[in-house]
Amino acid sequence: MSGTLTVRIAAKRMLTPRIREFTLAAADGTALPAFTAGAHVNVDTPGGATRSYSLTGDPRRRDRYVIAVAREADGRGGSASLVDGAEPGDHLRISPPVNTFPLHRAARYLLVAGGVGITPLRAMYHDLVRRGADVRLLYLTRTPGDTAYRDELAADEAVRLHHSAHAGRLDLWPYLAEPDDDARIYCCGPPSLMDEVHALTMHWRPSRVHFEDFAGVSGTDGTSEPFRALWRPTGQVVDVPATATLLQALRDTGVEVPSSCESGTCGTCRLHRHGGEAEHRDLVLEPHERERYLMPCVSRAPGGATIEVGPVAQAQ
Amino acid sequence: MTGHVDSLYVYPIKGLSPQRLESVPLEPGRGVPHDRTFALARPEGRYEHGMAAPLPKDQFFMLARDERLAGLATRLDPATGGLTISVREHPVLTARLTTADGARAVSAFFARTLDCAEGQAPLLAHAPGRRFTDVSVVSDAMMNAVSVINLASVRDLERRVGAPVDPLRFRANLYVDGLPPFSELDLVGKDIRIGAVRLRAVLNTKRCAATEVNPTTARRDLSVPRLLMREYGHAEMGVYAEVVTGGEIRPGDAVRFGAAP
Ligand code: FES
Repeated sequence: MSGTLTVRIAAKRMLTPRIREFTLAAADGTALPAFTAGAHVNVDTPGGATRSYSLTGDPRRRDRYVIAVAREADGRGGSASLVDGAEPGDHLRISPPVNTFPLHRAARYLLVAGGVGITPLRAMYHDLVRRGADVRLLYLTRTPGDTAYRDELAADEAVRLHHSAHAGRLDLWPYLAEPDDDARIYCCGPPSLMDEVHALTMHWRPSRVHFEDFAGVSGTDGTSEPFRALWRPTGQVVDVPATATLLQALRDTGVEVPSSCESGTCGTCRLHRHGGEAEHRDLVLEPHERERYLMPCVSRAPGGATIEVGPVAQAQ
Repeated sequence: MTGHVDSLYVYPIKGLSPQRLESVPLEPGRGVPHDRTFALARPEGRYEHGMAAPLPKDQFFMLARDERLAGLATRLDPATGGLTISVREHPVLTARLTTADGARAVSAFFARTLDCAEGQAPLLAHAPGRRFTDVSVVSDAMMNAVSVINLASVRDLERRVGAPVDPLRFRANLYVDGLPPFSELDLVGKDIRIGAVRLRAVLNTKRCAATEVNPTTARRDLSVPRLLMREYGHAEMGVYAEVVTGGEIRPGDAVRFGAAP
């Protein structure tokens, strides 16, 4: 993350027994970098850990950021140290806002929040209502007392509050049964809720369904960043997004590369690496081979870099 | 070495749900009836309607790349061609694959769930005698092989990686148990006997990224080929076997590995 900001805690208040809201202002009183609904900041917590928190306040305000922090049930240092140990007047170091959960244009919106997952969706909800959009917010918590921003949201017709301790789990199917290409779904909450919405939207276009899980790190591949590949035989430059492998990106532009395991274990997809730095993630190349070759089904280049590759057969 | 048949499965449509079977009639040189007789071909690929020649697996939608397929529960009745697709027990599509309308409905459904570009849709591939197995490109004999998983091997992997490994990640036809772990990898050229039925092991199965997909959550959550490599120095799990002598097999039948032909 480029640059850090020093902010001052301007206010702290209790939203629920577990959740505290922090209002942050620039330490030197200047305007803060702009953000859009769905954005988050990474906070260096007093406990030492860095944690990501969605900005829940109004994106039009440049004088403050608002975050809401739940004391984590497992008591790990980060959030608990903020909830218990950070007080108005204290300074915090944070990253500038990053938005990996942005709103996309749509005819209709369904926002599904669970617990403290309301934070980004609250900013989105108000933003969409201001724009006159067709939006519905489902907000699931255990009890009324666990419901941050309850008074603010309860009055709204477009908001459905549901408390599982009284009413059991909400059946989400009626909201998700009809796939709608013109709609967008945004979901943020505990993993069980996100898994449920994921499972119940398998018949939707995946591009219409968004989850805030502070991802960007996949279980098997570590962090993936976009880079470029220069395909030597044609001189074509191929953009490889964070979400695709080099193999997929080459294929999408019509370059045929044979493959089999697509997990870096079989050796089929081997390419000649003519230049550029590589991040090798395969399990087949010997250390000395890594100088000259690359397995595009798993291996990448560093973010923003360009790597030059070509087929093995034509390599000199 | 004697074990038993644990369970039997057919996968009528490549990449889609397993269907458990209570018995399987095997014939010499043939695979499990109706196994992988349909597939969803990539619209931008080389498949054309009625094409009988084998194509590599990257010409089709498959779990190795399209993990989302695991999130749909599909059930095909091979006798009628009736397909039902459900999302957590809620039916979201019923169609008859053998009719033009049904095939169109299935294409449109998967165009959406696989997020194909505007105007593009997967083609429902089906051709007499063709099975869309990964090894179909090797030979027609391999195309008709039965896939076998030894549950003891899966448990050994589970123990080593310290995480549950659903045996259905390996999408085998025949699951056997009661035999030593990885004894199935020493069988190539030898027999697998199930009562009077004889199979000949022909190829150990090198696992691909399809096994990374959790069949329950449809998320890629365990790097199985890499874990196999790390734990055993190879990415093999299970074996393909050709039917030499046919007959009916059922869960509970005794299985013997390794008898010389
Ligand atoms: S396809 Fe197997 S290593 Fe890339």
